[in-house]
Amino acid sequence: MVGQHDENLLPEMLPVYYTRLFPQNIFCRWLACGSSPQPLSNRELSFTLADDIYLRYLSINNQKEFQTLLQKKCPHKLDIGAVYNTKPSIGRHDAVVLSRELVFDIDLTDYDEVRTCCQEAKVCNKCWKFMVVACEIINAALKDDFGFQNILWVFSGRRGCHCWVSDYEARTLDSPGRAAVADYLCLIFGGENKNKKVHLGSDNLHSSIKRSLNIIDRYFLEILEDQDFLSTSEGTKKFLKIIPDDTLRKQVEESFGRGSSTVDKWECFIQTYYQYCKENINAIRKMKYLVEEIKIQYCYPRLDVNVTKGFNHLLKSPFSIHPKTGKVSIVFKPENARSMKLEDIPTIYSLLDDNSPDKIQHQNNMRTAVKNFQEVVFSLEKTEAMRRRNDASKYIIL
Amino acid sequence: MDFKIKRKSTKTIVTGSLVDTYPIDLQFYKIPPTENISLQEFETLALERLTLLRCLATATTLKGLRMYSDEWTEYVLSDLRSQGLKYYSKLCEKSGCGTQEVDLQARRKDHIAHFILRLAYCRTEDLRRWFIARELELFKMRFLTMKSDAVDTFFKLNNLSYTNISDDEKKEIMPYLRDSTFYQSNQNIESFKFYKVRFHEVLDLVKARKVYLHAGYAYIPHKDFISVLSAQYRTHLRQSLAIACRHLGEIEQDERLVALLKGLHQSYSGNDYISDVKVTIPIESINSLSVKSFPFCMRQLHEQLRSVHHLKHGGRLQYGLFLKGIGVTLEDSLRFWREEFTKIMESDKFEKQYAYNIRYNYGKEGSKKNYAPFNCLKIINTNVGPGECHGCPFRHSDLNVLKNKLKGYGLEGQAANDIVDMTKKGHYQIACSKYFDAIHNTDLGIGINHPNQYFEESQKLMKGDVKMEPKKETKSSNINIKKEECLEDMDFEEITE
Repeated sequence: MVGQHDENLLPEMLPVYYTRLFPQNIFCRWLACGSSPQPLSNRELSFTLADDIYLRYLSINNQKEFQTLLQKKCPHKLDIGAVYNTKPSIGRHDAVVLSRELVFDIDLTDYDEVRTCCQEAKVCNKCWKFMVVACEIINAALKDDFGFQNILWVFSGRRGCHCWVSDYEARTLDSPGRAAVADYLCLIFGGENKNKKVHLGSDNLHSSIKRSLNIIDRYFLEILEDQDFLSTSEGTKKFLKIIPDDTLRKQVEESFGRGSSTVDKWECFIQTYYQYCKENINAIRKMKYLVEEIKIQYCYPRLDVNVTKGFNHLLKSPFSIHPKTGKVSIVFKPENARSMKLEDIPTIYSLLDDNSPDKIQHQNNMRTAVKNFQEVVFSLEKTEAMRRRNDASKYIIL
Repeated sequence: MDFKIKRKSTKTIVTGSLVDTYPIDLQFYKIPPTENISLQEFETLALERLTLLRCLATATTLKGLRMYSDEWTEYVLSDLRSQGLKYYSKLCEKSGCGTQEVDLQARRKDHIAHFILRLAYCRTEDLRRWFIARELELFKMRFLTMKSDAVDTFFKLNNLSYTNISDDEKKEIMPYLRDSTFYQSNQNIESFKFYKVRFHEVLDLVKARKVYLHAGYAYIPHKDFISVLSAQYRTHLRQSLAIACRHLGEIEQDERLVALLKGLHQSYSGNDYISDVKVTIPIESINSLSVKSFPFCMRQLHEQLRSVHHLKHGGRLQYGLFLKGIGVTLEDSLRFWREEFTKIMESDKFEKQYAYNIRYNYGKEGSKKNYAPFNCLKIINTNVGPGECHGCPFRHSDLNVLKNKLKGYGLEGQAANDIVDMTKKGHYQIACSKYFDAIHNTDLGIGINHPNQYFEESQKLMKGDVKMEPKKETKSSNINIKKEECLEDMDFEEITE
């Protein structure tokens, strides 16, 4: 099988990948810059070796050491941890976490209750659109609302994305601060026991919610068609359960008889809802934003908040190989997320196997990914240099 | 019998008259008191402040009043008066800059008492949290009732100076401010003055999405300054308590203080259900126990596990620690989880991915901490994500889902309605207590603040340690008896750390 996934090939291919393709130089510069003012050696790295052997508290002083370490251990997976006040080591439980990129983790498994095309570890270009929406919404909030500039988006290797914010203020944000940012971005609450998971109240919508809804609207019809939420009786049942008002729910259910496709049924719902609100002034107060709430429940990003809140949660490194799929955790630009196709993502096999039909294309994509990484790192280095100059001049005046 | 309150550092020594020392009712407690006081006064002041803090807690959980609402403040003030703490009710009611002797004496007591309680409450993370949450509520309440000239003085005294944004800038962003700022609809937002602060200074507003954010700045109106102040005060208190904790050794050389300070907090920290498990519960009995003696939250986790043979991380943690707390051994636990999980996965996968966490819960892996089972507060405030079913069923379920489940448990009619009513009002723990009574066919009205406490109460009942009281009592008296048990349960607004 050409370019196909085979875990047994990894021990042989990984050393070649790490030497020839892994952007070691940029990677070390990124880590060093994101660790400053602490030295690079205070940053925790962790390797997963064959058979799930887990090595924590590794660290490196420079690129050369990194290269040696990679060759010696040949990790199947690379994770990045926090920056400590000292060189991390297993014995030291007194080490203090000083900083860490602000990170976000979105995983398509959290969309299982809304996606119909795939479940669990599976992913296709249809459900990937959820990821595109999530990426655009979070990126906009981080830039416009929080003023962050150095944001890195990484494909997680199978069914999700990671986002790393390297701005100084983000790196040094304390736990309550991280929790607050995470909560600011979360709109969907509740597990198995909640049918309606979004509650927007009846006041004006916050500007960040309005912006998110605009983004969702650009994709909503497409997603409706792709996912075909309302084509099965199970799907309709789930949808109807979200409607909090008994009378309206019955009316919507009846109206569904008129439409056949999901898009038609959605139209029916909208019409019935507006009609109902016109006739029942009280209803408006109770469910003023029902349409928006449903859109959000179906499309808004579902963050794994524990990853964001934790100060020292390990997260898979950019350009690490996903051991189960062989895919490279490539860096992409959020504005290009939309045009990204899952089959365009290079795998270790397609990159290194001469017989792979995608080899040329995937090598190009890999180069683009490295270039994207470079751009973020260069901009980060510039910001950091500026920050240090400012700090220094403050010091002189004092 | 005089003694000197030990100071931790050589901060400015307070001199001059009380007017100079205490110019205003509200302060950040930056400088510790240095005078000599009698042991008697030491003890009285400590207990009085404790009463004050407890009163705040009662108003929120037991009375179910919305924090800082008029009713809430009114309840606190009248409770203080009835407990004979007029000086506190005065400090809280209309904080100002009066210079009469009663004002000054009240401020002096407030000052000293705050520092005494720091010593009692710096010992453990839980105590620190409780203390910080209460002191912050107190601070906020006092700031909100402060006269406006006093507010100005307060800012001046604490060197807080902020300039508002220009009218042009305000005009430009007005639509966003209108959408994103939290204000009463009868107020005219155009007339507000807005100030620009870094977003991390007002995390509580950011968290609740109650402020307009742009490029890292939060635009807050005057009334929201309390958020900036609370955040500063919180940081200051957290640091001070950490310092106090490090110096406990010195203070505790004085035996007279040790007993008092330790006693103070001991009477109010509930059982943590870590260490004193005396009985072991055989895992075989767990099915029947889950029906009879498990609280709702654990019963539904148990049923979920039995039916789908898997629980997500949050559920494993909540349920696993509970089982440990009721006396299931590590070996039994491993066997129990393995039996279920291996119905849907290879046993190799279970050993690699899940067994570690179970041993971890029992303090056998990682940092080897013996973790405490979650209490109601933690469970109620937890995040429950898609596909998860942990958390508090009263807090994290839709009402009709809740009703159906209750029906499935054979609870209908008045009993079920009572539970649902309490849930609607947001009194999840009272709903749980009603559930207890409905299941056990009693009318005890026990204050539930820990799932393991629920279990113990239930077991006591079954073994006949407690007499059944099928007769109806008035609600309020039930609640009063249990006042103390619920005290640690009120950090609803605390930012999790």
